Amino acid sequence: MLIATDIRKSYQTPRGPLEILSGISLTLSRGEAIAITGPSGSGKSTLLYILGALEPPTSGSVTLDSASPFELNERQQAAFRNRHIGFVFQDHSLLPQCSVLENVLAPTLAAVLDGKEQARDHEGRARQLLEEVGLGSRLDHRPGELSGGEKQRAAVARALILNPSVLLCDEPTGNLDRTSAAAVAELLLKLHAERRTILITVTHSAALAERFATRYEMDSGRLR
Amino acid sequence: MSVNLTSSLLMWRSATYYWRTNIAVVLGVAAAVSVLSGALLVGDSVRGSLRDIAVGRLGRTDHVISSSGFFGDALARDIHNASPDVSTTPLIVATGFVTHEASSRRAAGVVVYGVDQRFWTFHGLPDRPGVLLSPPLASELGAAVGDTLLLRVQKPSAIPVESLFGRKDEVARTVRLTATAILPSEQLGEFSIRPQQSEIRALFVPLPRIQRDLGIADRVNTVLASGADDESLAATIRQVVTLEDLSATVAVNDPPAIVVESSAGIVSDSLFTAATDAGSAIRAEPIPVFTYLANTIRKGDRQIPYSLVTATSLERAALGPPSSIGGNQSADAIVLNDWAARELQAVPGDEVALDYFLWDAAAGLTSHSAAFRVAAIVPIAGFAADRRLAPQYPGITAANSLADWDPPFPVDLSRVRPQDEAYWKAYRTTPKAFINYERGREMWKTRYGAATSVRFAVPEGTDAGAVANRLREAMRPLLQPQASGLTIAAARRDALAASEGATDFGAYFTYFSFFIVASALLLALLFFRLGIEQRLRPIGIMRASGFTIAQIRTLLVAEALVLAAAGSALGTLAAIAYGQLMVYGLRTWWVGAVGTTRLTLHPSAVSLVLGASAGIVTAIVCVTVSLRAVARLSPRALLHAQAIDHERSIAAPTRRLTIVKWICAGAAAVMLVAGFTGVGSRTGLFFGAAAALLAAAMCQLSSSLRARESMAITTRARWPLWRLGFRSAASRPSRSVLSAALIAASAFIIVSVDAFRRGSEFSNDPHSGTGGFALLAESEVPLLASPNDATGRETLVLNAPDFSRIRFTRFRVRPGQDASCLNLYRPTTPTIVAPERGFIEGRRFSFAASMAATDAERANPWLLLRRQGTEAVPVIADATSLEYVLHASVGDTFSMDVGSDKPVVLQFVGALSDSILQGELVMSEESFTRLFPAVQGYRFFLIEDPAVHDQGAADRLAGTLERELAPFGFDAVSAAERLAAFHRVENTYLSTFQMLGGLGLLLGTIGLSAIMFRNVLERRRELALLRAVGFTTGHVSTVIVAEAAGLIGVGLLTGAGCAVLAVAPAWLSRGGTRPGIGLLILLVAVAIAGVVSSLIATRAALRGGVLDALAAE
Repeated sequence: MLIATDIRKSYQTPRGPLEILSGISLTLSRGEAIAITGPSGSGKSTLLYILGALEPPTSGSVTLDSASPFELNERQQAAFRNRHIGFVFQDHSLLPQCSVLENVLAPTLAAVLDGKEQARDHEGRARQLLEEVGLGSRLDHRPGELSGGEKQRAAVARALILNPSVLLCDEPTGNLDRTSAAAVAELLLKLHAERRTILITVTHSAALAERFATRYEMDSGRLR
Repeated sequence: MSVNLTSSLLMWRSATYYWRTNIAVVLGVAAAVSVLSGALLVGDSVRGSLRDIAVGRLGRTDHVISSSGFFGDALARDIHNASPDVSTTPLIVATGFVTHEASSRRAAGVVVYGVDQRFWTFHGLPDRPGVLLSPPLASELGAAVGDTLLLRVQKPSAIPVESLFGRKDEVARTVRLTATAILPSEQLGEFSIRPQQSEIRALFVPLPRIQRDLGIADRVNTVLASGADDESLAATIRQVVTLEDLSATVAVNDPPAIVVESSAGIVSDSLFTAATDAGSAIRAEPIPVFTYLANTIRKGDRQIPYSLVTATSLERAALGPPSSIGGNQSADAIVLNDWAARELQAVPGDEVALDYFLWDAAAGLTSHSAAFRVAAIVPIAGFAADRRLAPQYPGITAANSLADWDPPFPVDLSRVRPQDEAYWKAYRTTPKAFINYERGREMWKTRYGAATSVRFAVPEGTDAGAVANRLREAMRPLLQPQASGLTIAAARRDALAASEGATDFGAYFTYFSFFIVASALLLALLFFRLGIEQRLRPIGIMRASGFTIAQIRTLLVAEALVLAAAGSALGTLAAIAYGQLMVYGLRTWWVGAVGTTRLTLHPSAVSLVLGASAGIVTAIVCVTVSLRAVARLSPRALLHAQAIDHERSIAAPTRRLTIVKWICAGAAAVMLVAGFTGVGSRTGLFFGAAAALLAAAMCQLSSSLRARESMAITTRARWPLWRLGFRSAASRPSRSVLSAALIAASAFIIVSVDAFRRGSEFSNDPHSGTGGFALLAESEVPLLASPNDATGRETLVLNAPDFSRIRFTRFRVRPGQDASCLNLYRPTTPTIVAPERGFIEGRRFSFAASMAATDAERANPWLLLRRQGTEAVPVIADATSLEYVLHASVGDTFSMDVGSDKPVVLQFVGALSDSILQGELVMSEESFTRLFPAVQGYRFFLIEDPAVHDQGAADRLAGTLERELAPFGFDAVSAAERLAAFHRVENTYLSTFQMLGGLGLLLGTIGLSAIMFRNVLERRRELALLRAVGFTTGHVSTVIVAEAAGLIGVGLLTGAGCAVLAVAPAWLSRGGTRPGIGLLILLVAVAIAGVVSSLIATRAALRGGVLDALAAE
């Protein structure tokens, strides 16, 4: 269960503190999926980064299965993200120097380096995931050789390689055409349902948001 | 296809994917390593070349046995016979000057070797009979085979010339020779037992010929040895050396007595001690004898001219009846032989006076008198009849009559009476009077000794020959060769040690190349950071995926390590080329700093490895430090940031930057004040203030770039495009500050170094570097007469009336190694000079530092040369020599091997400021004559002429003196020109520094252009947007060039401005030259080059249509 309690976030500017989030509380169980919409600059992505332990809140708390990532040190936080959080960003952020298969395996390398896992065969799981996302024949291709939709599907596979509890998506279809966007959206929801992850998606796309049973709107730093 | 994603694979993929930026990193590291290793190679090459030169010129020589006098050439054979493994050869080594008869061209300071076939055999070369010239000598004289040469060398004299009986009118000899061949350097044409990098002007003359011409048959002054170690050679020499080799003789006299004498005509203190100690060992009582010439023995109006008087132990010599013994002990007792008593009509108790000459280098010949009282009258018999009481005096002893006398001092032969001639005919040199030894010693002692012989009585019935042999055997171990002037020098070992050099060129070139190395490393760092900035988003996703900061840093550092290793490997190869270029430069453009064209590259694995390692370590340290900025970014910032310091650029100026800025500015102010007031080392203060000023300026630049500009750029703002350009620099403050710092540091070096150039102008100021002297001169043959008085001028045949106004300050010289910056070899036995009386009181030159403790010493630090009470002998050196060649400072001691049984310890009591005496150490004459009694006469001169006011007049005076004093091998040079020669060395170092600094500046400028190109590529979309809304290409170029021009301008102005401020104290005190128009042109050229290259980069980056740029990802 993901529990966010009274999350506040403000940034210091030369003209004084700028409050982005004004007390957000959220409770999600495994298998739940929500979409967050709102105008640009409303704090949607900020909330996503806090929930994903990428950025600490100014005040408030976040726990996942009773574990609070912001009480951990940097190394433990990294391990927390590696184990429990999967990210899909608008611009996919694939490593251009690695193949599609290697990009999907990248999070497993972090786990091995941290000593949390042995170097066992994650490759089979990665291949399977790439089959599921429709990239089974593009394993050794570089990101530069894929279309936008294909890159995003690779990013989805990367996000799921370590079976995370939470899948956070920041404008996953923002750079895609309608057909690719629909395909990626379909893929996300399908994989979420199969793995019973907690899925949180930030999006401008009304079409994508409509596919979520639960929708929130970010307005003046609050969720409605 | 299976894949095993490991961190190594990920690192390798990153390195190859971002190859464009990484190539630049590799090249930057390669440049730094090549320059660093190349600089170290320069040091190795200079040392190696000096070693090659010195060792090559030694041939097979390991040791050199030499003497201030001459010894039998059989010593070489005897050493070899005693130690068959040791090869030896005898030769004569002298210096002289040579005139090419046909052209009258002259060469002074020529090393003359008297050699025979044994010399060539020793070195494994075919015999080369005849007169041979070294190539440099032949070139200087314009001499060819068959040409006639006139060699003038000092004529050896066993009797010290600076004594009463030393001949002063025939101190040199001219030898006419015909050149047989020019001996190539590879065949020992430039043979030299002393290391020097300049060309050797050498003349090889057949040994028998030079021995005959100098009147020293079968005698030499040098033996070369090979194949021995120090201890065994010294033991062998002690074993085989004869007393005659050490200028001592032990003879059996008639009437029986053993007589120990010296070929010098006077027994040195060491010989006297050895003889008396040996006598004690064989239970023979020594009788000291000091026989001297009295010009007159007077009693009242009766007198005897030109009589020998012997000072001895009147009691041991049994001179006088026992009843007179008590009277004989008194200091004024004189015993006359009966002939003298008759002539003077003297009886015991009468007063008698002795008139005699003394000779002193300063005072010349002076007459003295001493009063005595007749203690006894003895017959001319026994001891009193021994004509051998007087040593052999050339021109006197062998004369058949008093009228035939030819002494080296004036005699009035009209005073000689018939009875005097009759005495001479009957008794020759038999003394006419005897005084107590102590009294005679007091009157006639010189630095050469205080006895003319030591006698040992032979008891009746004893075999005198056997006693003499026993005495000889007892004396040999007591008479140390070194104490008698015979020295052993480990020439090869000393040459190798000297080859380490007085100047560490490796260190100097590392300093010179510092800015190239720094520029290259900074460029590498800049490109590495650029590479990091390219992958901030992928780094962000890795953080998001669970990679820790440490894991990411490890991956990036590993990549940097691979790049640094590749760069170091490439740089190591390029280092050899850079080193070769620098060595070529030292042989050509910068030959003024080294004085030789014989430098060659000597690659050293150690230096290459050291340079490569330093390059890798420095690159990794720089990269690790720069990654701290990445570590500070949150994953969100990584995912969104375009530059590492992009976030920070919108923050207000940090307090830390401000604090650092004011600390640096304060430190700079303190050091500048100290520089103006002369507290502490000006050089250190200069660098410290400059560094602090530069740091403060860069902190201010960083703060300014991070501060938010208060005025918006609107259509009504002035210079809107330029301000837009400057604002761009603020978007990446770290990158901008690094670029500006690079240029500022290089500009600083180029400007500041130029201020230390020194010119040379003629000066009559006695406190200037020339001491107010017009000329500095040396002579091959010592001047024994003083050119400062009419008598001396007459003796020297200086007849022109002008000479009466010229003042010569004379110095004694113990030749050694040049201690100035003109000598690359490390001097272990520097040349020592000692001025005559009067110089010390003259307060010439200026002192940079001294050990003055009293008011008198502070007013005139030269007085420190007379300090007594310590074992160390006080000397004064030039401050530049002291610091850069001898690596010492005032107060330090310096141990010098002078061939005596123990080294002489010198103490530097003062340092002259930028003087013409850089090549020598100055000692008081008293100390000099005590330490080096065998050095005769004055051979070094500082000359002043009130009629000389400019360089031209000085040069004319030099020519006149060289002509007038040609028989002495007089070589004069303008004092200002001598100082200029020293300054040329310093200025050459500065030029080298400037040139390499300029290279660093150029590298920085090129790097800035590359950065600009990169900046423009990153901003293509925004620049395309500007064009889409109506800005022309020219407008856009102006924005870009403004950024570059701003950084270049700030860098140049900051660097040059800091340099001018910081060198002001040193410039004012040293009187260096102002930075000239050439420097200004250089800086302007660099600025233009930087702006133009940025313009080219801009145009290249903006190629293509607006739409393409807007659509580009």
